[in-house]
Amino acid sequence: MSSIPCAVVGVGQTHHKSRRLDVSFGGLVREAVFRALDDAEMTLEDIDAVVLGKAPDLFEGVMKPELYLSDALGAVGKPMFRVHTAGSVGGTTAIVAASHVQAGKHRTVLAVAFEKQSEGNAQFALGSGKGASLGAGGAFAPFIRSYIHRSGAPEHIGWKVAVKDRLNALKNPYAHLQIADISIEKVRASPMMWDPIRFLESCPSSDGACAVVLTDEAGGLAAADAGRPPAWLLGASSRSEPPSFPGRDPVRPAAAMVCAADVYAQAGITNPREQIDMAELYVPFSWHEAIWLEAFGIAEEGDGWRMIDDGSTELGGSFPVNCSGGVLSSNPIGASGLLRFAEAANQVRGAAGEHQVDGAKVALAMAYGANSQYFSTWAVGAEQRPFG
Amino acid sequence: MTTSTDIAIVGWAHTPLVRHTDQSETQMLLHAITDAITPLGLTRADIDFTCLGSCDYITGQAFSFVSNLDAIGAWPPKRDSHVEMDGAWALYEAWLRLQEGDIEIAVVTGSGRSSTGDPALIYPMEMDPYFLAPLGADPLTFAALQARAVIDAGIATERSMAETAVRARGKGDVDELLGEEYLRTPLRRHDVPPITDGAAAMVIATGDRARQLVERPAYITGMDHRTECHNPSFRALDDSPSVRIAADALGLRNTPVEIAELQTAFTHEELLLRHVLDLGDDVAVNPSGGPLRANPIMASGLCRIGYAADHIFGGGTRALAHSTSGPCLQQNLLCLVEGRS
Amino acid sequence: MARLVESTITFPYRRSLGPVVGAFMTALTEMRILGTRSGDAVLVPPMEWDPRTGAELGNDLVEVGPSGTVESWTWVPNPSAQHPLAQPFAFAFIRLDGATTPLLHAVDAGSPNAMSVGARVAPRWRGERVGAITDIVCFVLGESAEIEGTDAGPASEPVTRMDYEASITYRNPVPVSADRVIEASQEHRLLGQKCPVCERVYAGGRGYCPIDAVELGEGHEVDLSDVGTITNFSIVTPVQYPGQTETEPFVRAFVLLDGSDVILSYQPVIELPATDVRVGQRVVAVWASPAEDSDEGGAMGGTYGRLIGWMPNGEPDIDDPDLVNRIF
Repeated sequence: MSSIPCAVVGVGQTHHKSRRLDVSFGGLVREAVFRALDDAEMTLEDIDAVVLGKAPDLFEGVMKPELYLSDALGAVGKPMFRVHTAGSVGGTTAIVAASHVQAGKHRTVLAVAFEKQSEGNAQFALGSGKGASLGAGGAFAPFIRSYIHRSGAPEHIGWKVAVKDRLNALKNPYAHLQIADISIEKVRASPMMWDPIRFLESCPSSDGACAVVLTDEAGGLAAADAGRPPAWLLGASSRSEPPSFPGRDPVRPAAAMVCAADVYAQAGITNPREQIDMAELYVPFSWHEAIWLEAFGIAEEGDGWRMIDDGSTELGGSFPVNCSGGVLSSNPIGASGLLRFAEAANQVRGAAGEHQVDGAKVALAMAYGANSQYFSTWAVGAEQRPFG
Repeated sequence: MTTSTDIAIVGWAHTPLVRHTDQSETQMLLHAITDAITPLGLTRADIDFTCLGSCDYITGQAFSFVSNLDAIGAWPPKRDSHVEMDGAWALYEAWLRLQEGDIEIAVVTGSGRSSTGDPALIYPMEMDPYFLAPLGADPLTFAALQARAVIDAGIATERSMAETAVRARGKGDVDELLGEEYLRTPLRRHDVPPITDGAAAMVIATGDRARQLVERPAYITGMDHRTECHNPSFRALDDSPSVRIAADALGLRNTPVEIAELQTAFTHEELLLRHVLDLGDDVAVNPSGGPLRANPIMASGLCRIGYAADHIFGGGTRALAHSTSGPCLQQNLLCLVEGRS
Repeated sequence: MARLVESTITFPYRRSLGPVVGAFMTALTEMRILGTRSGDAVLVPPMEWDPRTGAELGNDLVEVGPSGTVESWTWVPNPSAQHPLAQPFAFAFIRLDGATTPLLHAVDAGSPNAMSVGARVAPRWRGERVGAITDIVCFVLGESAEIEGTDAGPASEPVTRMDYEASITYRNPVPVSADRVIEASQEHRLLGQKCPVCERVYAGGRGYCPIDAVELGEGHEVDLSDVGTITNFSIVTPVQYPGQTETEPFVRAFVLLDGSDVILSYQPVIELPATDVRVGQRVVAVWASPAEDSDEGGAMGGTYGRLIGWMPNGEPDIDDPDLVNRIF
């Protein structure tokens, strides 16, 4: 990572729903963009470059939508950049936007990500229009079976995560799923979709967008002086590995571990469990919370589920995870990663509202994509160099 | 914008640029990357960062870029990114990334097989989804309307367009070409790019590392890209304001170039950009033949930058390269490369 | 030249329109055309935001046209399947009366000789209007609007959504190594390729080793067993979508081939109900008869030609606690 500091000074998102029939494409992204600009006390004129992320164009049937959305995003006369790294894209969008600042080339950059899943059908798109599409659940169920087997975790772990994240979502007015009577019994009684994944252990399909304003050190300090604390970027990394080869382990992917190690080294984090105050992990199916706690070195291998079982990852626990409600509560695919990165920033800015972790100073966010191959991660802090 | 950190192109390669390839996109990339790094004495293990540029709709498959990871040697896992844009923008991302200073070598690629689908049916999906896509508004239509605007503005004539085609392709007779039927008035077959399959890979490195690798690196002394509003209804099609802004940011007015490689797929686009960039007669435009000779979608812009680098490798002093995306040159990227004694 | 496999993907979408495009589409069903006021200008097509600055425009809609003037045009001698008209026509920028920007649409002029800059045109409305830009079939020369077919009247409720469907046919070459796998499958042989550097074996005619980035060809081929063990599986509850072929839960299994390190991922199973599939189960390949040949081949992860799936071979299960972790 560059020695040039980068700060998050504005965060915005839409209300996420299965169908945002009230808005056009442009209307959807602009709802998030203007919330982020308002949060940063900026206008479109303050933005020097725009980075747009979203998952496959086949989801909405608009090819290279950054072209159509250029004017909606106020990018006319400016650089307009498009990232696509599968499910991790929202995270990568934030990282590429940060790179614009950290290269010293752009002062203030708008990162935007969206998905309007209701326009098409994700299962259709994931199967490229062919029959018998596996969907993400069908593709990932074997990974979860393997995790359960090798960790010896009891089946209620998945249910607990499903309940925890939906309880957190009740504190987040933007979250898609608002299931007031969520309970272990309700999750257990929900239909088995992709054994061992039950319906309520799965992410929804959402329309939504997220926007984040990133700026340089002067901009971050100015926001702080104005009483709007920024989130300082402590470390950022993206890593990818090939789809398949004999011996590849999608439950403990090397790319995830290398990505985490890279971020921790940049941030000076030597003991993630102790030094990080909360994490937003990309958990589209409940068991992925345990999987990522381990791959990201927050729990020892085989012990991730114990942090869930003993309540450590609840809001109010020793290591809260997905206080926003996570991907399990809102999943506008392309934006899901950026929502994680944005929530981590809001937590260290003390701006997370009802789902704020008391005194959060350092937060971690990660997103992943494809067959657990693409990873993007950042750590943000309330201070520029909390660990020297 | 000009850069203070030295970043240079040290090599590049492209697959055969052909009407139809039997190779998969991944196979093309495998060859292009190997051909780009091998002469430099590099292996895939030496690459610190990769950024690939490709497009799902060209391939006809969601997540089509995922299998292209097989070509980069991402084991152990690599710092990596993908843009749903021409490889020229992949270069932009890598150029930013190297300036962060912690890594030294990046490989960027662009790849696409436009032979597999009909661009006239695929590209309307790139247009305004409410007003233009449902009409099947295709690239040829927009090119024709822009050509008419450029002709009406006195920047081109059908004759100067035909002359451009003859020069680019190194064959044909202007009078004969002008006798051909219109494909889409005022465009004839010769004004239009061929369908091309291909992939390109480029290696860039930070200054010291670049000088270790090659005798004469092609320093990227500036790179800038800008967009315009999308719907051509709202634009003056006889101008290119985004190119003007990018050119000013690079200080092109006071920076003479010897050649310019422009991603002008249609003859009038070359004439328009020559006019907007105020390139004199002493500037050779598209000595490679340009996209009129070979137009590998998603790699065409990166190839322009590659040919500009070739000019420097061959002893030239300064070259300009251009890439574009969207209807009527909506989005444009300029890249300035220089050699040093 | 390699064999080409043709596949047509039909992309069906239903778009939500938002306040401005929605109002425009609703007005089209009433045979009225709306623009947005932006300062002194009237933008057509109407926009929610200023196309130059991104500033909010505030839904200040105003009726324009329906007649207008051709500002520029191009003749389309060979219309595509997506174009508004099947016969040759002009695409034109039409400045509708009262508008400051031109709308792109088709003009049914019969011949390019009938087209000119400055020509006056009026819409030919579709009789049955749904709230789409194609409610205007095209424009015609002159001042008089027309209706094609019987006028079914305006929409009974405001239009908030529109359908969009594009059908694209792709013709993909089958790589040589994949074709060799298909050829071998006709003799009921599963072909693999062994990387000369790392010695990993790949099935499905991949044609290269992703670890060493070397090409694999005929010289690297090895025969693989068509008997194996299920290491893991997925039971998919089908969600309905355009093109879906499944209605009941179906199994995709991961099969570790005997005597090798090769896993075939996401494989169909045959004569094995979803409730009976288990890790450690022994299975044998099932081959299609020549009459059932299909170019789709196996599922995700490669081409296996005439291999249509796997069925239990009657052997006792293998009890190996690590099997379930073999996914790739």
